[in-house]
Amino acid sequence: MNILSSLIFHILPYLTIIVFLAGMIYRFYVWAKLPSPIITLFPRPNNGLFWGVIKETFLFPGLFKSDRFFWAGAWIFHLMLAFIALGHFRVFTDFPWLWNALGMDKAEVDQMSALSGGIAGLVIMAVVLFLIFRRIGIQRVREISAFPDYLIMLLILAIIITGNAMRFATHFDLELTRNYFTALFTIRAAEIPQNSLFLLHFLFAQLLIILIPFSKILHLGGVFFSQTILKRS
Amino acid sequence: MSDNNKIKDTVVAGVKSMKKSNLPLRIYMETCIKCGTCAEVCPVYYGSNEKSLNPPVRSDLLRKLYKKHCTVSGKIFGGLAGAEDFREEDIDTWVKEFYECTGCRRCAVYCPMNIDNSVLTRKGRAILQQAGKTPPHLIKVMEVSLKTGNTDNAPPIALIEAAKFMEEEMEETTGVPVKIPIDKVGADIFLVPPSGDVLVNPDSMMGIAKVFHVMGADWTLSSRAFDGANYGLFTGDDKIMKEDNKLYVEEAKRLKVKTLMMGECGHAHRIMKFMMEKQRWWGDLPFSITNILQYTAYHIQRGHIKFDRSLVPEPVTYHDPCNFGRSCNIVEEPRVIMRAACENFIEMTPNRQYNWCCGGGGGLSAMDSIRDFRMNISGKKKVEQVTSIGAKYVAAPCSNCKRQFLQLIDYHNLDMDAGGLHDLVNRSILLEPVGHLLKDRAREFELNGYC
Repeated sequence: MNILSSLIFHILPYLTIIVFLAGMIYRFYVWAKLPSPIITLFPRPNNGLFWGVIKETFLFPGLFKSDRFFWAGAWIFHLMLAFIALGHFRVFTDFPWLWNALGMDKAEVDQMSALSGGIAGLVIMAVVLFLIFRRIGIQRVREISAFPDYLIMLLILAIIITGNAMRFATHFDLELTRNYFTALFTIRAAEIPQNSLFLLHFLFAQLLIILIPFSKILHLGGVFFSQTILKRS
Repeated sequence: MSDNNKIKDTVVAGVKSMKKSNLPLRIYMETCIKCGTCAEVCPVYYGSNEKSLNPPVRSDLLRKLYKKHCTVSGKIFGGLAGAEDFREEDIDTWVKEFYECTGCRRCAVYCPMNIDNSVLTRKGRAILQQAGKTPPHLIKVMEVSLKTGNTDNAPPIALIEAAKFMEEEMEETTGVPVKIPIDKVGADIFLVPPSGDVLVNPDSMMGIAKVFHVMGADWTLSSRAFDGANYGLFTGDDKIMKEDNKLYVEEAKRLKVKTLMMGECGHAHRIMKFMMEKQRWWGDLPFSITNILQYTAYHIQRGHIKFDRSLVPEPVTYHDPCNFGRSCNIVEEPRVIMRAACENFIEMTPNRQYNWCCGGGGGLSAMDSIRDFRMNISGKKKVEQVTSIGAKYVAAPCSNCKRQFLQLIDYHNLDMDAGGLHDLVNRSILLEPVGHLLKDRAREFELNGYC
């Protein structure tokens, strides 16, 4: 058990980072090198290629025009993801200069993070459930869904549930976890926090990150390449 | 057995080539998120929600093989990662499904990743072509086109006779000798219509001749190159597409024209303007490339061409051919013409680049073997659209759309007619020549190489 947990929590994090970075850099490199014939699709964005790609990447106008409910689900999902990813920086390190600048003391920061993180965690759980039900419930989506699609959704759901459980159902020791990550970042033997919810949460997250370069989550970054193809002229 | 193995080898080799050939083919294999948006906006899937008509199901024919032969995850995890090898019996599914996509590109407009399924359809068809599995009728059309320069297997004399007939017809009905010059070396404009517009539906050609007459344009047709249609686009065969195209570029050079002007044919214009010229198939060109829709609209907007709109009183609508709209951005010009030439122009919704395909795109319109499919499934949305607005005439400047519409009207007993855009111009244009009054400005368009 000790060897296993050491593999997962001492070794795997480094593998995760290496696989993710190497995989993504390889993809971007290959995509950038491939020739791209001009096959412009109209209407072209009316404020230029750059802003056209930015707009579509961040606002999903195509979904907005075709399916308002799905648009809302997809958009809130990605927004919450970004928000939550940002919030997680606090687990890795603290930002005293920022709190000073904002004039907040530790209790206030904790309170703000508990409130905003808690809301984001609940909202994203609801949205992911909606997206899963949509995938199963709507024929046209169900018939194009396969194991990888469900795997990714379930993995994300598992990460969210364990994350929320940590926040709402148990006591989460921020200091201990931060020490663990600090040790990981500085490549020292880190003490593994004895919190099984955290360990599950972290394991699932690592699996998801490893999957990114090999799955449809490649659209993280890939979206810029694929959108440029038709918007160029 | 060995034949089937050969087919499998060809298919697998074709899919493997996608990894290194170009960015769209590769990234479309890797980033589809399977969100189902394309299915919602696809005219074919709208017509019937059979699984095989769902766009990603069709594209997955390629994707499964790509995963199997080109990705680490597919090689390790196989079916769990969505990888699946080609089986001999799949070839029939391939032929059926890749020829059930109209290549209209509507999915790409809405897809959050901008995945253009028509690119994958065309690749699937290109692989089928290599495997010798292109539908026989399309093979025949390509062969005829390469042999005679047109898809109707017509000799030069057919065009000359047709032009003579049209000149007589126009003089008889208007009393004005409107000319249709042929093979005139040194003309300003070389017009390339689809052959159907000269041989089968002459109204559109007569409308165009009248526009040129009013403008006093120095133009010509060619008796050996009068069909812009190019089925290499539909069958995915780049080699044939270029070969078919070559005659037209050579003819434009031989005639020493200033402008190669494409007629009412969307895919022909797309190939000339957005593929041949843009990708520089034949290097520098001594002429510009434009379209008759742009020419007519340009002169209408400047008040050069006048109409008696009361001659076209019935409610008419305009169908945006996918190639003109989504691939060439020619959407406002035809509307300028419609508003000028007709009394009662009504729009379908959605329109312009969001328009629904007629159901005959991508070469499907020419395939009578799938007529039932076109009438009941791929054309279903279009029938609903045109009937709901009460149009009595659908103008579609595209031979494939026209054929599909005429068959839909016949099949569903619709109380309306369909045809080209210059057919309407032919009915209501006033033959008051202005060319001589506008000596300099009249040629502005050609000389600028507008567009």
